Amino acid sequence: MQNFKALSNKDKGRYIANWMLDHAMIIIIILMAIYVQSQKPAFFKIPSLVNILSLTAVRLPMALGVAGCIILAGTDLSGGRVAGLTAFISAILLQKAGASGKFLPNLTPPNLLLVILAVMAIGAIVGLVNGFCMGKFKLHPFIVTLATQMITYGVYLTVSGSKQISSLDTSYTTSFVTKSLFKIGPTSVPMYVLLAIILTAIVWFIWNKTTFGKNMFAVGSNEEAARVSGVNVLLTIVGVFMMAGALYGYTGFVEAARLGGSTATLGLNYESDAIAAVVIGGVSFVGGTGKISGVILGVFMMQLIMSGMTFLGISGNVTYIIKGAVILVACILDMRKYMVKK
Amino acid sequence: MKKFLALALALIMMLAVSAPALAAQDAYVFWYTFGDVYLSTVRDAMDVEMKEEGLNAINQDANGQQATQTDQVNTALVSGASALVINVCESGSIGVAETLLNAAKAYDLPCVFFNRALSTDDAEVKALLDSYEKTVFVGTLFDQAGKMQGDMIGQYVLDNYDAIDLNGDGVITYVMFKGDEANQEAIFRTQYGVENADAILTAAGKPALKFYDEGNASKYLVDLNGTWSNTASFEYMQTILAQYNEANGNMVELVIANNDDMALGAVNALTVAGYNTGEEGAKVIPVFGVDATDAAKELIANGRMVGTIKQDNVGMADAVAHITANLVNGKDKFDALNENYTIVDGWMVAIPYAVYTGE
Repeated sequence: MQNFKALSNKDKGRYIANWMLDHAMIIIIILMAIYVQSQKPAFFKIPSLVNILSLTAVRLPMALGVAGCIILAGTDLSGGRVAGLTAFISAILLQKAGASGKFLPNLTPPNLLLVILAVMAIGAIVGLVNGFCMGKFKLHPFIVTLATQMITYGVYLTVSGSKQISSLDTSYTTSFVTKSLFKIGPTSVPMYVLLAIILTAIVWFIWNKTTFGKNMFAVGSNEEAARVSGVNVLLTIVGVFMMAGALYGYTGFVEAARLGGSTATLGLNYESDAIAAVVIGGVSFVGGTGKISGVILGVFMMQLIMSGMTFLGISGNVTYIIKGAVILVACILDMRKYMVKK
Repeated sequence: MKKFLALALALIMMLAVSAPALAAQDAYVFWYTFGDVYLSTVRDAMDVEMKEEGLNAINQDANGQQATQTDQVNTALVSGASALVINVCESGSIGVAETLLNAAKAYDLPCVFFNRALSTDDAEVKALLDSYEKTVFVGTLFDQAGKMQGDMIGQYVLDNYDAIDLNGDGVITYVMFKGDEANQEAIFRTQYGVENADAILTAAGKPALKFYDEGNASKYLVDLNGTWSNTASFEYMQTILAQYNEANGNMVELVIANNDDMALGAVNALTVAGYNTGEEGAKVIPVFGVDATDAAKELIANGRMVGTIKQDNVGMADAVAHITANLVNGKDKFDALNENYTIVDGWMVAIPYAVYTGE
């Protein structure tokens, strides 16, 4: 800011223009939000804000997982299907005792924490395969994770027999995941918001305060340089993908409870929404850059757009166009920064 | 950056205070997917019917994903909607409907479900819907379409037995395309489409229909994505035709599909193989669907498909719009409802089907 005053008027103009371009995505979305607000005054009232916050909390863990993979200059397409599989596993383990057509008829619902850890472990196993294939065999993560996405879905269909699981135990749904933490007026803030905050704090710590986190950024910005300076690249890649997998596993756990059941389409395309949000949040596909705050902002912005369009009553057809355009603009703005550097 | 955000927030808050109150009666209509051909005809009709009832229909597309739909419902609730009209994605999972209904209850808003069943168990649905005054399910009697389709097929096969029996072995082999593994209507259509046809055939002393592939115990091929799509049936049919044909004497002699879109896929695959081209003298494998979409009507007119069951899209839209308007205006939900629709046990309104084999 001090430097700003020292600039000539012409440079000041350029400086402002550059600043605007660097933050164009946020500016556009805020303008959009203001427009929605002017049309539908309920948009920035408490119930709506809590709604957007809850939606953000649901999407955030998966986005944090994918963000790690993208920081490695990779990607991960397996997220949605992993969430689908773990939603199913959570649902069958925590189905109401005595429910008609119970999938595991003789099982009484086990400890919730145990189930969370189990599904996160299952997700981590898929991540292990992803990371190992990518790190060891130098395969492009796009194709590795596309393959594991299909395999995961196939495993899910085989195990479940495409059955829909309903009648979940209330200790899992209304007494835990969707339980009201506290109320702001008539609007309650659900438990999964707190869970998302805890997870985000853990991921923030791993990214910023551990050697593993620093290695992740090092491998993402220059794999060779990281290797030369003694970073175990394979272990880092495997670790990042396993962490991502565990976060997808958690997403499945929450989704089944939030929706009141598990079905074959659960999780479909979740990863693309997560990737889009992460890109909007300034995590670059070039690799090596990204912040937790950016990911949160990205997911929040994405939900703000989606919610805004529902408020305006924009038809589903147009929603896709706007969503696609936002992603495209976000990527162009991101690349612009790198092109300027070169 | 922080200053900018603060400024923006301040602006928004100013607007929040100054903006005028909402007046319109918005009925949010949640569709499981805009990609469904039959439902698109309902949607067009619904826009008109809602307007006539003084409501503004706002259509939302869940693209087949329950999570998207649940999010949309929650957002609509806080946006000041007057009514929710839901074509639920996860048909057959009562927990999903319960979650949605509870959300509507919390805001004391009318919540009309339509078209896609809420569970495979009627008693379960009745119990759920009876728990809230401002809700109802508008649909069709789940078994009716399948039964009518089966009757139509049985009669047609009986009337044209020798022409259909291509290899002359006295038995008609068929293939059945199922739209969705867990959908209640799909289950019944798959069951009765064959059972009712068999009943007519065996009563007339003919053997029952035989599934073309003896190795397949389920006796149907299902769209794995659960979207009742022509892509799925096209690919299945093409694979079948590579293996089963007249030269081998094992050609599939009858095609039954859960809906017209899947029938269309089968017809297209048959056309590639030289059947059902609609040209003079071309062989026709009888194909049956359900819905009477425009595409199917055209195929039937061209002789490329035999028959379908008409779902009354305008009736469906009219019933939904009328009931929604009744609830929004605080009237009895069944007030002045068209007499052609059947009210079942107070929780459901059934729209009748009709056979369609050409104008």
